[in-house]
Amino acid sequence: MLSSIAEKTYWLSRYIERIENTSRLINVNSDLLLDIPHDESDDLKHLIQITGHLKDFKKKNTKENVFFFLIQDEKNPSSIKYSIEMAKMNSRYLLTMLPKSAWEQFNNLYTDFISKNKSYNEDLYQIIRNSQRFFAIISDGMQRNDVFNFIKLGRFIERADMLSRIIEDQILRKENFVNKYYQNLQWSSVLKSINGFESFKTENKENLNQEIVLKFIVMEKLFPRSLKYCVDKLLEVQRFLPKSQKIRKYMSELLIEFSYDDLYKNDKKILKVLDDFQFGLIKLDKEINARFFN
Amino acid sequence: MKTKKYNTDKFFDEYINKNNTSRKNFKDSFNFFKALSNNKKKLLSNIRDSIIRSMGVTFRVYDNNRLIDREWPLDLVPRIIIKKEWNEVKDGLIQRIKAINFFIHDVYHKQEFLNQNPVLKSLILDSPNFLKECKGVVPKNKIWANISGTDLIKDHRGNFYVLEDNLRVPSGVAYMLENRNVMKKVVTDLFNKYQVSPIDDYTSQLYKCLSDASYSKDKLKTIVILSPGIFNSAYFEHAYLAQQMGIDLVESSDLILSKDNYVYIKTISGRKKVDVIYRRVNDDYLDPNVWVKDSTLGLPGIINSWKEKKVAIVNAPGSGVADDKAVYAFVPKMIEFYLNEKPKLKQVKTYLCAFEKDMKYVLSNISKLVLKPVNESGGYGILIGPKASKKELDEYKAKIIDNPRNFVAQPLIKLSTSPSMINTSIEPRHIDLRPFILSGNNIFVTNGGLTRVALTKGSTIVNSSQGGGSKDTWIIH
Repeated sequence: MLSSIAEKTYWLSRYIERIENTSRLINVNSDLLLDIPHDESDDLKHLIQITGHLKDFKKKNTKENVFFFLIQDEKNPSSIKYSIEMAKMNSRYLLTMLPKSAWEQFNNLYTDFISKNKSYNEDLYQIIRNSQRFFAIISDGMQRNDVFNFIKLGRFIERADMLSRIIEDQILRKENFVNKYYQNLQWSSVLKSINGFESFKTENKENLNQEIVLKFIVMEKLFPRSLKYCVDKLLEVQRFLPKSQKIRKYMSELLIEFSYDDLYKNDKKILKVLDDFQFGLIKLDKEINARFFN
Repeated sequence: MKTKKYNTDKFFDEYINKNNTSRKNFKDSFNFFKALSNNKKKLLSNIRDSIIRSMGVTFRVYDNNRLIDREWPLDLVPRIIIKKEWNEVKDGLIQRIKAINFFIHDVYHKQEFLNQNPVLKSLILDSPNFLKECKGVVPKNKIWANISGTDLIKDHRGNFYVLEDNLRVPSGVAYMLENRNVMKKVVTDLFNKYQVSPIDDYTSQLYKCLSDASYSKDKLKTIVILSPGIFNSAYFEHAYLAQQMGIDLVESSDLILSKDNYVYIKTISGRKKVDVIYRRVNDDYLDPNVWVKDSTLGLPGIINSWKEKKVAIVNAPGSGVADDKAVYAFVPKMIEFYLNEKPKLKQVKTYLCAFEKDMKYVLSNISKLVLKPVNESGGYGILIGPKASKKELDEYKAKIIDNPRNFVAQPLIKLSTSPSMINTSIEPRHIDLRPFILSGNNIFVTNGGLTRVALTKGSTIVNSSQGGGSKDTWIIH
């Protein structure tokens, strides 16, 4: 596989996963707003905080402006629009590489989003559906070749990154929710945003609080949107990548710090560990870049 | 069936004869479209558009400095050619490309033909398409133009004429293939009424042709397509062909030249040696050490690799020397010179202003002629005498007098028309045809080719960049 194609595949996959994750995040938070007594604008601004581009948001702090910034603003590198355009840019090189049906599905995703004029809610659900279909075609019908491996690599790095940011953000803004009842509502909304509420409930029928939810999202190896699951998938792909011992080492190190049980009770410690995790992903991304793309 | 509204004017119409009735074999298709209600026509157009959109069949254009993927314009009325007629054209095309390849080889070696035709010789030696670096090189099988696309038109009597030979990087074949796929889905019933010759083995023939060009003795050759990149208007085609052949589509940044002049591609498992490059980059951008110095589309030093037979380049550098309107005028002579045969295909009478006699004729008959600069393609720089104003003609005259060698002139051919679906009505529109010819160990000609159609009423400009569309071409038994 050409290095340049590997790189474009990796980024295409990351951007599509990012689009889906951002959509989920906005969706569930706008649902949550309906349940909690709040200062609306403050509650939404933290979404921008998650994406790491708060300093670029200069408009008046209204729901419309925040949503526009996150969804449509092509100057914001963390917006859905920006990611979709970047995905499109990378996809232009991959005509030869993706199964035809996946290519068609990506075109649908793109044109559906561009020809919007619907409500934000509809747009976001459509993005999630389209992205799921895209990955479904890949998982279901694609030959397990290098292209497949780089799609998987990009996808689970991106997913792990976004998951850790969501958790981090929720811990940080906990103080906004005075009442314990609302705190739990907050964590159940996080679970919903990652399609994990039902799975969580089957495992934990009685309690829903920060400690248990965190453990679930970090360590539940059977749940596809846990950190553990993402890292397992990364290790799975690594076996097919040529000369990638160092990459394997970085991958295996990602979750070591999470194995201390009392960690989940201490906000300060867990925030530190999440920071390290994100740093670990950056290190991994750099190594992938150096090893395969240059 | 008598047709009322359809007016063929004074042109040759592919479907309808002078008595205003359908030609034999064309009736089914004509009636099929005539019988469609307006709603059904709209429905079929919509289905076509959504298939083209989801298959991503596009060509790229710049609009206000933005790169836009335009959906490929396909007219649903097929262009039909009877097999017997096509077989004759095919023989003519094979004869022609054989002679042209002999000619290019001769140009870079003994120049026997040029020595017999001194005016052509002086034109060639001055031509920017003549690359002195290619002198003495012997490509595999002495084939320079492995892949060519020849533009054919029909005149008012319905005879095929060669309009030009595209020997550099002719494009359009992917659209030809995708047109067929779309038609099979949209007008399945009509398709079933005819026995249409298949076209979809083109990419395996292309692979074979590329493989034949290799110097390498390895059984499995490493073949790549070199594209100028995603901004090129034909990028869709480059990607499509690579995919269909299962080979890598590369850009110059994917290539490395080793110290001993082998070409490698960068892969995730390290470097891999390349045997054949099907380049879709023009000659002058291929090697910045030799030609355009600031070209980023080529690889510095690649010409040495090619000369040392360490990599094959298809089409061979320098083959563009024969893609020239002055050379075109000499093709019938070449056929006699190299093959000792009479030309099987007609071609348009061409006046070379480099000849004093021709120039005089052109200047005094300018309003009847089509005037063309020798080194342009894509329809640029052309003046159609009968449609030009006096001022335009005078300006062109001055250009000719200033540099006669740069111009040729041809009588205006009344291009044939074919019924085309314009919104919901069926109207005649001018068409041409580009078949593709592959020269490897054998010569292969596509069954039909890409029919291009000028969608604007009365227009003869078929280029997709200038409002042209396309048709599926059916060779039928």
